[in-house]
Amino acid sequence: MRNRLALGIAGLLMAAAPMWAHHAFAAEFDAQKPVKLKGTVVKVEFINPHSWIHIDVKDADGKVTRWMVEGGSPNALFRRGVNKDALPQGTEISVDGYQAKDGSNRANGRDITFADGKKLFVGGSNPDEQPNAK
Amino acid sequence: MKCKAIALAVVILAGALSAQSKAGKYNPPRTPDGQPDLQGVWTNVTITPLERPANLAGKEFFTPAEARQYEKDTVDRNNADRRDGGAQADLNRAYNDAWYDRGTKVVETLRTSLVIDPPDGHVPRKAGAPAGPPVGFNRPPEGPEDRSLPERCILWPTAGPPMMPSFYNNNYQIVQGPGYVMILVEMIHDARIIPIDPRPHVDSKIREWLGDSRGHWEGNTLVVETTNFNDKTRFQRASENMKLVERFTRTAPDTVMYEFTVDDPSAFTRPWTAQIPMKRTDGPIIEYACNEGNYAMEGMLAGARADEKKAAGK
Repeated sequence: MRNRLALGIAGLLMAAAPMWAHHAFAAEFDAQKPVKLKGTVVKVEFINPHSWIHIDVKDADGKVTRWMVEGGSPNALFRRGVNKDALPQGTEISVDGYQAKDGSNRANGRDITFADGKKLFVGGSNPDEQPNAK
Repeated sequence: MKCKAIALAVVILAGALSAQSKAGKYNPPRTPDGQPDLQGVWTNVTITPLERPANLAGKEFFTPAEARQYEKDTVDRNNADRRDGGAQADLNRAYNDAWYDRGTKVVETLRTSLVIDPPDGHVPRKAGAPAGPPVGFNRPPEGPEDRSLPERCILWPTAGPPMMPSFYNNNYQIVQGPGYVMILVEMIHDARIIPIDPRPHVDSKIREWLGDSRGHWEGNTLVVETTNFNDKTRFQRASENMKLVERFTRTAPDTVMYEFTVDDPSAFTRPWTAQIPMKRTDGPIIEYACNEGNYAMEGMLAGARADEKKAAGK
């Protein structure tokens, strides 16, 4: 009974779950252009409504391209303990996201992973704990 | 014997006082000018939905065990690293839960919906009521005006009034001064400045994004009536003639019980009321300053031009 209840709630919420945060991602980024970037942090703009992480990505020939990666509202990040010290200049990160429709070097940051494998993503499920990115 | 009787009386009295306090007889601290003190930073974050899920029909309250299960299921789902549904769905889901602040708990009353009246927990929408505002998704945007109000940093549909929880920025600061209450809303960074006196509402021809609010005290409860909304906000598809009554009652040191009643016969079959406990939280309120950093607007318009080029076969 409880399982049925839980399943029902889950189904309903998934159907009703909002599909966008501050803005419609499909309007800005291209689902046909998934990107996986590995680079070093140049600077982070903790500005609302979205933070932007600037990274330098080096290709096999040593050519460096600068990318801008879009993330969430800094207000939410600060409350999770993510601040300017979390992504200092030179930090190596990997980004899994989608490139801008106009072909510019911008992407949304679906997942951001640190060199040690830690993700700016936590799959924990203890309601007593706010998932913490630290 | 007498001592026992007195002791018993004391116990009974203590019990009665405790029950009274639970029943909302908490006596809040006062401001220097004698008003009940609602000041502080509060959050209304909760995973309890506005309306009761269909499978909970007839069930007004969770048991504590059901509440825990609902919380676990919801947090699990919000944290799930979903890869299903293909690239478009993945992109639309934006980013993972680390970016959000959606809460992990149901409301402390254990209600299964924020709507408390009608008792079925649903907004009594009127059949055939006009649809919501145009949000600009119907055509490629020519300019910012074709995008939605939140994208333009103008208004968030839950930031209010009335004030409801959303994905993040669910924080409010209440400041009181003689004759005024100010509510700073973190989302979009609105400041609601509410006069506490019997002055009439502004002329009906004057329409405002946040409406025109007037406050008064009924005992320990701050009652705020808001009218004169414009025709663009359309809270829950209400019209500009929506009349809103909000009630703020300090029910414990760490709680302001917030209730709001919405009345608009053009959109609803009857007035309806929702209740959201606001809990004391750490400040400060963080600035939102949305326009300054809104690279996304440029990105969306550039996206629309790129789509046009693609469609033209270039």
